[in-house]
Amino acid sequence: MDILYLLVPLSVVLVFIVLGIFWWALQSGQFDNVEREGERVLRSD
Amino acid sequence: MGLPLDLTYINRMIGVMDYPCHMNQSITVPPARWTPQPPPDGGDGVFGAHRGPLTVTDDFAVLDDPAEQREFTEVIDVDGQAIAESVLMVQGMYCAACADTVESALQDLPGVHRAQVHAATRRLMLRWDPVRTQMSALARAVGDAGYRVLPMQQALSISERLKETRQALWRLFVAGFCMMQVMMYTWPMYVAEPGEMSSDIVQLLRWASWVLTVPVVTFSSSPFFQSAWRDLKRGRIGMDTPVSIGILVTFLVSSAATFDPGGPWGGEVWFDSVTMFVFFLLGGRYLEFKARDRTAGALDALMNRLPEVCERRRDDGTYETLSVRRLVVGDVVRVQAGQAFPGDGVLQSESATVDEALLTGESHPLTRRRGEAVVAGSFNLAGPAQVRIEKLGRDTRFAQIVDLMEKASTDKPRLAVLADRIAAPFLVVVVFGALLAAAYWWQVDHSKALAVAVAVLIVTCPCALSLATPAAMLASAGALARRGVLVRRLQAFETLSTIDAVVFDKTGTLTEDRLVLRQVRVREGVTRAEALQVAAALAQGSLHPVSRALARAAQDEGLTPAVVRGDVREAAGKGMEAFVGAYGRVRLGAAAWVDAPEAVPSADGGPEAHLADDAGWLASFELAEGLREDAAAVVQALKAAGIRTWLLSGDRDAAARQVAQAVGIDEVVAGASPEQKLAEVERLQGLGRRLAMVGDGLNDGPVLARADTSFALGHAAALAQTRSDYVIQGGRLMDVADTLVQAKDTMKIVRQNLTWAAIYNAVSIPLAMIGWMPPWLAGLGMALSSFLVIANATRLARRPPVQSPA
Repeated sequence: MDILYLLVPLSVVLVFIVLGIFWWALQSGQFDNVEREGERVLRSD
Repeated sequence: MGLPLDLTYINRMIGVMDYPCHMNQSITVPPARWTPQPPPDGGDGVFGAHRGPLTVTDDFAVLDDPAEQREFTEVIDVDGQAIAESVLMVQGMYCAACADTVESALQDLPGVHRAQVHAATRRLMLRWDPVRTQMSALARAVGDAGYRVLPMQQALSISERLKETRQALWRLFVAGFCMMQVMMYTWPMYVAEPGEMSSDIVQLLRWASWVLTVPVVTFSSSPFFQSAWRDLKRGRIGMDTPVSIGILVTFLVSSAATFDPGGPWGGEVWFDSVTMFVFFLLGGRYLEFKARDRTAGALDALMNRLPEVCERRRDDGTYETLSVRRLVVGDVVRVQAGQAFPGDGVLQSESATVDEALLTGESHPLTRRRGEAVVAGSFNLAGPAQVRIEKLGRDTRFAQIVDLMEKASTDKPRLAVLADRIAAPFLVVVVFGALLAAAYWWQVDHSKALAVAVAVLIVTCPCALSLATPAAMLASAGALARRGVLVRRLQAFETLSTIDAVVFDKTGTLTEDRLVLRQVRVREGVTRAEALQVAAALAQGSLHPVSRALARAAQDEGLTPAVVRGDVREAAGKGMEAFVGAYGRVRLGAAAWVDAPEAVPSADGGPEAHLADDAGWLASFELAEGLREDAAAVVQALKAAGIRTWLLSGDRDAAARQVAQAVGIDEVVAGASPEQKLAEVERLQGLGRRLAMVGDGLNDGPVLARADTSFALGHAAALAQTRSDYVIQGGRLMDVADTLVQAKDTMKIVRQNLTWAAIYNAVSIPLAMIGWMPPWLAGLGMALSSFLVIANATRLARRPPVQSPA
């Protein structure tokens, strides 16, 4: 089970990476108006 | 295209078109037209150059800019003193207790007459004396208390709201994602048999949990800490105080257990509990935030309609883009399709299709021709339209409507005031309760004392209690506003739900303002159509109500007016005279004017007109006031609800009885002067009746004010001056019955909410004190109780508009 000593810290790092990705997605406005993305396909322009 | 389709289309259009308008906010504005006042604190450059949204570094001086202030401040007259009344939005408020903090920060300042904060919409209504203080000073005082005030217009702008939503979502996500991971680290510890895991692994998992709990406590929970700190600084206890203590104590004890397992703090860790209840709390708040956004959305949709910038025609015919605040009366602006008109004005283009849902509550396209009026806040649906501005800003009907809505939304219902008042002592009791429980459990079982105290602190959020009433009433007000019914006082729901009699005014209320043709008598050998054609020929140029009724009657029956030779001569107050085809000289008017023995006044003394030609009497027209289409339906609906109806009229007895009979009203009091009307209302109230008065809001002022609650059918009436509780803008009488139903539903929801909040607290506090409620469950319960209250209230906002029978 020694591999846990590597995997557990790795999972912590992974969490921070995921949070970073979400931060980027949020700041680029992807969650500002969730309905709009669905409606966009219906629009002609 | 059916109505539902129209609505979605227009809503989408509004949604889409609103965006660019607000995004353009940062557009450069040309030099100011107003005369700059000297800056209050010696700073310069604030007034001239910078006019964007406030930033944290602003010293609030921009709030003293008169051009800025005009948008959110109105000067009113109180006992001969000029008092400024401002509506602002407060940023950083989370609960009812915060409302108290802001109010008390302002209340004692010199020059402040009244400060009232509405927790559910985070709006501040402030009455202050411009001679004794300045807006910037007041804003600074609120800033010192830890909140930020923003002018309504800016507060509602997309960018501010986006920032708030993003921040809330980010905090929630950090808490949620870390919570999931901490759960995973904790899970093995729950399922492992004793001795199955080596102590090294256990320690490793604890450290990992700690690393992920740190951002949750330091970042995600910071709103709780900030709010608690604000309260402490002001020497009061808010709902976040117990929550913060709970989070901090749990985290610190768990950290100590992680790094010093054998220490005095014991070996138990609660990282999973901390992260979970921070997540639940934030989740509850986020949903609350969203729901409140939607509830206030209907009001905001109204208030947010004016564009920030517009295109003004220069003298050379080209257009310049400038801020709406720089417009002056007389300017000609071009309004593109999909945009809202920036002010009340007169159409200069050939025609325009507009949506005046703002006034009528019904989204359907209306056609306006050159020279006709358009109102601020209504939408131009097709093609660019040119409009000469006649009224701007505070003077527009739009502003009057917004004003009413803002007043209503800062108006605290009595029940809500009660909840606000009990919130503080309630919390003090609870903190003592937590200490007591902890002290007791410390003697019984050390390890449980902490969890019990934390649970007690968390379950006791009074949010549900203080949100119960305003949330429901606001949701209802929003739903009604979308339908064209404005609620001026939120308390009115309470009164309206208890009424047992409705008193109608006749003219302008049950009847329309115009006359309709009821009966035609004609000379032998002349048809009704011929008589009407001749009458219409004379009447079409006149503005007299009788003439207009005749002209309209001819038009409705598809008759073309007879050809007139020469001009129509009008003798004011008597009638008209002209030469028409084979008839020769024709006269239309009162019996005396036509001078024919057959032209006798009708028996009931109603309005009439007579027609005569060279051969003598030709025809007589009897007219009557036109009933509103839905007058009978609304009386039936009220009767079905067990409500008695009265007709109170200043008109002739016969006319009043005729109307009452036509619509099915129970009792009639006719020929009453305003004083007699008032006396009659008082007499009915003396008999124990609870009355709702329905009037046109103009001449019924005192009666409307005296009745328990009142409706005004607002047309051209200066809405802001009406004394009624409800203003019906669409002219649909059916709205009276619908509003009554809505009021009853609202009170039902309020009672449900209060009952639920009370039961929740009564059950959960003892449970937490005897140790049956772990902290995470307490967090869940508290968030859920607030959310349930809001969700329950939202049901009111979702009611579909009731269509009046066409």
